[in-house]
Amino acid sequence: MTRRVPALALVLALVACATTPSPPEPVELTVYAAASLRNALEQVEAAYEIAAPGINLVIATDSSAALRTQIEQGAPADVFLSADLGNPQQLYDAGLADGEITIFAGNTVVLIVPFDTPAAIRTPADLARDVRIVAAGDEVPISKYVSNVVYVLARLAGYAADFSSAYAANVVSREDNVQAIVAKIELGEGDAAFVYQTDALASGSVRTVPIPDEANVQANYAGVVIATSAHPEAARAFLHWLTGPDGRAILAELGFLPPS
Amino acid sequence: MTTRVPAGLLVVFLALPVGFLVVQAFAGRAMTDAIASPAVRDALVLSLLTTTVSLAIIVALGTPLALLLARGRFPGRALVETVVDLPIVLPPSVAGLALLLVFGSRGALGGALEVAGISIPFTTLAVVLAQVFVAAPFFVRAARAGLANVDRQLEDAARDLGAGERQVARHVTLPLAAPALTAGLVLCWSRALGEFGATIMFAGNVPGRTQTLPLVVYGEFQAGDLEASIAAAAILILAAFGVLLAVRTLNWRRALDLRAGG
Repeated sequence: MTRRVPALALVLALVACATTPSPPEPVELTVYAAASLRNALEQVEAAYEIAAPGINLVIATDSSAALRTQIEQGAPADVFLSADLGNPQQLYDAGLADGEITIFAGNTVVLIVPFDTPAAIRTPADLARDVRIVAAGDEVPISKYVSNVVYVLARLAGYAADFSSAYAANVVSREDNVQAIVAKIELGEGDAAFVYQTDALASGSVRTVPIPDEANVQANYAGVVIATSAHPEAARAFLHWLTGPDGRAILAELGFLPPS
Repeated sequence: MTTRVPAGLLVVFLALPVGFLVVQAFAGRAMTDAIASPAVRDALVLSLLTTTVSLAIIVALGTPLALLLARGRFPGRALVETVVDLPIVLPPSVAGLALLLVFGSRGALGGALEVAGISIPFTTLAVVLAQVFVAAPFFVRAARAGLANVDRQLEDAARDLGAGERQVARHVTLPLAAPALTAGLVLCWSRALGEFGATIMFAGNVPGRTQTLPLVVYGEFQAGDLEASIAAAAILILAAFGVLLAVRTLNWRRALDLRAGG
């Protein structure tokens, strides 16, 4: 009998512990995001974790296409933020998206060169000369925008007739994502590259060479909640916040455009 | 003289990049800044945690396998040995892809695992499986060689003196094979610590969950933060260097012991 008393007390204590209200477990939201969003998301994370207490954002960045493949293979992402519409659309078509695709930001393409550029590139037309260009792989969203820019440039006055092929021949490396392109230019491993305006603004060691307005395009960033998310409500709330005034303000400060 | 020049050239070529990287890491504030950065700290903790678990699994399953390969006579033994050695020569990206095709949610076992409520790819468990896959052969090979070199007569002598199989293993076989087992363990750990290709394919690159130190080296470089990348790389170099030096010292001591004993 005497032995049972402490045992009973222990059971009661455990029950008491179990029923004592404890602070709710923080919800961990895993956000898979395009590499060009990395700097923005560091600020978004800080702001959102204050705006939505109890939410902990885990942010993984890579090329949109690589992240899409990982999600298709079962990566436990809650939200996917892509640098284009195509990759989220593919998830949507495969039934891996929960709800609509939301366009939350825009970006434009700029030409960057290292600060102390030996190749002296003054206009995009100089890309047809003997220079080393760093580009993205074909599956990276920016490549689609850049080929549009190059296509239009080639038809402008002052551009060589073979501008497109000369540009393609000067590409010395194809990177997995835009941040890696910027890193190569910063290291002086290339003379010029087309990147997003936001990447150029974030880097302290590259110069921007203007592109004629008529040749430029707007890239659109789209997000989607993943169907297998364990916290679909929280994921939707985050995407909603990102497209709202607070999210827009952070994105605008870093050079992102409103969605067009 | 004619041998020294090419020999020296190769040594310089091998030493210069790693040496320069370590100097670069400690010259500026890269190292102190990086240790303070959550990305590097989280990755360091994750690397230590996952390699410890991987090592425990490899020792638990690898020691019996090494014993079987060192002592056993069974059909298909050459095939088993080849399969065990394969991950050493396979590109890690191939290992990662293969693991994904088996354990992925659309993989061969993925469906069954999902029914059981287990999802492996892109989790910390995937990091461990990738490490076990690529690093286990290093332990099994070394352990097999060490166990094969143990003098069976010493074991028989212990048995004649009344020792049971457990006692023989514990007091004779394992202590005699200990230097080889330790060397295998240490090499296996450094391989697991440096594992990159299979991890990024099979476990992804999520901070705090699957982003180990080698993935920080890649991720921070891709993201344009060269300093953090260099710091993480320097930690890996120093760990690997320490490990190899330790193996050498262990063998050297053993040689001394043998000489003293003989």
